[in-house]
Amino acid sequence: MEAVDARDLVKTFRGLRALDGLTVRIPEGVTYCLLGPNGSGKTTFIRAIVGLLRLDGGDLYVLGEHVSSIGSLYHRIGYMTQHRALYPDLTVQENMEFFAGLYGIDGQRRKRRIAELLEMVELSDHRDRLAGALSGGMYQRLSLACTLIHEPELLLLDEPTVGVDPALRQGFWMYFDQLASEGKTVIITTHLMDEAGRCRIVGYMRAGRMAAEGSPEEILRLAGLKPHLELLLEDPERDASLLRSEGYDVEVSGGVVRIRIDRHAQIKEIMEIITPLDIRLREPSLEEAFLTLSGAA
Amino acid sequence: MIDIRRVCVVALRVVRQLKRDRRTIGLITFAPIVLMMLFGYALSGEMSGIQLGIVDLGGHPALRSHLEGVKDFTVLHLGSESDAERLVSDGRLNGAVVISPDEIQLLLDATSPQIASAIRGAALAGARSEVLGSGAPIVERYVYGYDMEMTDTIGPAILGLVVFFFTFINAAVAFVRERSQGTLEKFMVSPLSSTEIVSGYILGFSLFTLLQSTTTLLVVIFVFGVPLKGSPLLLLSIVILLGAGALALGTFFSNFARSEFQVVQFIPMVVIPQIILSGVWWPIQSIPDFVRPVSYILPLTYATDALRAVMLKGSTLMDVLYPDVTALIVFFTLSFASAILVLHREVT
Ligand SMILES: Nc1ncnc2c1ncn2[C@@H]1O[C@H](COP(=O)(O)OP(=O)(O)OP(=O)(O)O)[C@@H](O)[C@H]1O
Ligand SMILES: [Mg+2]
Repeated sequence: MEAVDARDLVKTFRGLRALDGLTVRIPEGVTYCLLGPNGSGKTTFIRAIVGLLRLDGGDLYVLGEHVSSIGSLYHRIGYMTQHRALYPDLTVQENMEFFAGLYGIDGQRRKRRIAELLEMVELSDHRDRLAGALSGGMYQRLSLACTLIHEPELLLLDEPTVGVDPALRQGFWMYFDQLASEGKTVIITTHLMDEAGRCRIVGYMRAGRMAAEGSPEEILRLAGLKPHLELLLEDPERDASLLRSEGYDVEVSGGVVRIRIDRHAQIKEIMEIITPLDIRLREPSLEEAFLTLSGAA
Repeated sequence: MIDIRRVCVVALRVVRQLKRDRRTIGLITFAPIVLMMLFGYALSGEMSGIQLGIVDLGGHPALRSHLEGVKDFTVLHLGSESDAERLVSDGRLNGAVVISPDEIQLLLDATSPQIASAIRGAALAGARSEVLGSGAPIVERYVYGYDMEMTDTIGPAILGLVVFFFTFINAAVAFVRERSQGTLEKFMVSPLSSTEIVSGYILGFSLFTLLQSTTTLLVVIFVFGVPLKGSPLLLLSIVILLGAGALALGTFFSNFARSEFQVVQFIPMVVIPQIILSGVWWPIQSIPDFVRPVSYILPLTYATDALRAVMLKGSTLMDVLYPDVTALIVFFTLSFASAILVLHREVT
């Protein structure tokens, strides 16, 4: 069964088509990344999944239920909004207790969950501070902790790592992977390609549609991008023509020679032809792949 | 289905938040006292002398203008004899003159003979100034009223007024914040229902209403010496019922405000009419006919009436059940339903 099954979703805001025939299937137990430029409809899609939007068209099923009966699923869903929703005039602990209470979590279970999550987001030492007095990144971390309090099966995280420092962000991603390995579905939006690269599936949205979708490797293959070698040479022009005569795709600019390669084994063959001063292998980035794909689209 | 535990979770949050908000706490406790002093003292000077009601059913223009001109009289124009009788027996008027073409009736308070004779004297003097032959018999009727200070009538009314005012504004601001903070959206995707949200708010706010009305009541009784003849429990229950309705109304109105600043703009629309038209300062019977129907749809009119009756006359629940408490229950039910309806429409 799919965690989310969306077919031809349409949502119009006063003539603006925020979702324009969006079709996606998100399987259970994966980390799924929604990528796309500002205003491409990522947040709108997530709000549609949690039933905060009245759709103008299409069919949407969440955890096997039609979105119109989403009310019965709320205890299985966790939604972290893009604009952080917390009570600034409650303490960290009180915010957690409040959200735990909404999901009927109390007693020992509540205590355990709160301790666990505060540990994960590294806020255990700040539990008695007012949320409004936390730093931007800490506020963010608390918001994530509150979203996870009821151990949801389907997590929708709208830019959860914005403003979070790299070390902690690493920790978050390990936690997301662990949730997915437990069979939970984690849907994340981000603008960071390295984060997208860590997801099982990446969906690239553009103007309210899915422009490209697949695992990061598939996306790279789909875009047809190849790794290339950058060489610093004593006599770039001479070596470039030497390589061309061997049938390589060579390009010279600013004294640097770029060679597109198909297989990494070709590096050895190239080294037998020339002797560079310095060498650097450039793998194609997901970003380039998306730019290529969306340019073509 | 309402889950009581979830309602309590919301209520606890409201209490925790308000507890930290020292300024609001100070305001809701001290504002009633200040208002009481301000209006109690200011108006007691203004409205000194004899409060006389005039019911004009036609004829005798000279008598009427004579009565209006007497220096010690403050004249209120009333619509009917029964209004006049009620106000005299409530102690809000010292007496009334019902003028009709073929009879002049004096409604006098049997408990204060001096005032009764002052009114009688003025009426006789006025009748003498009538054109010869247009005279009509003067009949006297005694009603048992009681002597009352201005602060006596204003005290219980202030109680209702401040509770309505502060609960309405605080609730509207709180819900505007829930929206702008994004927490309302979190509610919408949690198992919490709209009914539970509003109920939780009512529960949380009721504790503050209780705090506010208790302090106001103590000041009214011990500083201003207003008697408490009825049950304080009944009094507080009426206040809580009014507060719950005001909270639901504030929640409903918050839907039409995008910022806390816009909430302030509801004050002239929702709050001021109640202050003017609900009989807090002057009896609604003296409000001109064409606006009086408005008085009868304002919840504060009924709260004021009920609170006065319980405090000053010792009325029981059965005495104030109809129309006052019934009207407050209707007000609460309608506001509650509208608040929930509006929260349901949150989905865009
Ligand atoms: N409630 C709304 N009313 C009007 N327009 C809206 C509303 N919500 C979204 N939109 C519009 O729909 C489009 C898609 O917005 P959305 O928030 O889904 O983009 P996004 O992909 O999440 O962007 P970002 O990367 O900036 O978060 C935008 O043009 C936005 O202005
Ligand atoms: Mg967004």
